[in-house]
Amino acid sequence: MSSFVEISDKIIESTLEIFTGMVMMEISVEGEPPLKLGTLKKSITGMVGLAGDRKGVIAVHLPEQVALAVTTSFLGMEVEEINADVNDAIGEIANMLGGNLKTILSDQGKDIQLSLPSTISGDYSFSSQADVDQIILSFKAPSGVFYVEVELEN
Amino acid sequence: MAKNVLLVDDSSTMRKIISRSLRQAGLDFGEIYEAADGHEALVLLENETIDIVLSDINMPNMNGIEFLREKKNRPGIQAIPVFMISTETGEDIISEAKSLGTIGALKKPFTPEKVNEVLGPFM
Repeated sequence: MSSFVEISDKIIESTLEIFTGMVMMEISVEGEPPLKLGTLKKSITGMVGLAGDRKGVIAVHLPEQVALAVTTSFLGMEVEEINADVNDAIGEIANMLGGNLKTILSDQGKDIQLSLPSTISGDYSFSSQADVDQIILSFKAPSGVFYVEVELEN
Repeated sequence: MAKNVLLVDDSSTMRKIISRSLRQAGLDFGEIYEAADGHEALVLLENETIDIVLSDINMPNMNGIEFLREKKNRPGIQAIPVFMISTETGEDIISEAKSLGTIGALKKPFTPEKVNEVLGPFM
């Protein structure tokens, strides 16, 4: 198994673990993911950068209605608009995904540092300026489909 | 008697999430205090009755390791047990935290069952 396939499988595993175990929301892998995401509309993205032996980014992209449902479940309180709680919750999910990606890469002998999580929301496109290997994974939540994306510099 | 808990995390959202996990874990706790960094945590420990601390590692102003180091030098609060809660699971950081007196680490993500298993004996 190539290391990139292995990374992909482990990111699926850790996304399922984060959502079922901590967000308290049942999700599943959703069919064939798109090759490119294009412009994301009315969405929010949480992301964490990687530096060190492997450079890149891991991001979670959610339509607003999915982000609201995820935050409501994650915090155990109703959230009806994109606010600081939603940004923090989605940033925290990116942070946990980044921590797991760091563990996966560190197990392969890589020394990795993570950035603090950040979020963007609204209508935007998400693309890397560097030559990267890219994984896009789609997941189905009760309120809609969302994506986890990993970009690692070649 | 129910234990008073101090949550130390720069994200107020994460503090809400940890509070929710404590409730869902079915643990018998009293007051929950919150601090956004190590400095705030030290002030609360000096002034309130706190039985156990759950602390993040990566925080601005005073991070979790600096907090442990400072707490260790304060006789009045040095015996209060601290658990680290973080996505950081590097052996270097965890072993440094242990050398500074932390009694355990809870890796994010964690389930209410995991919270109960790890923290239950201390509550």
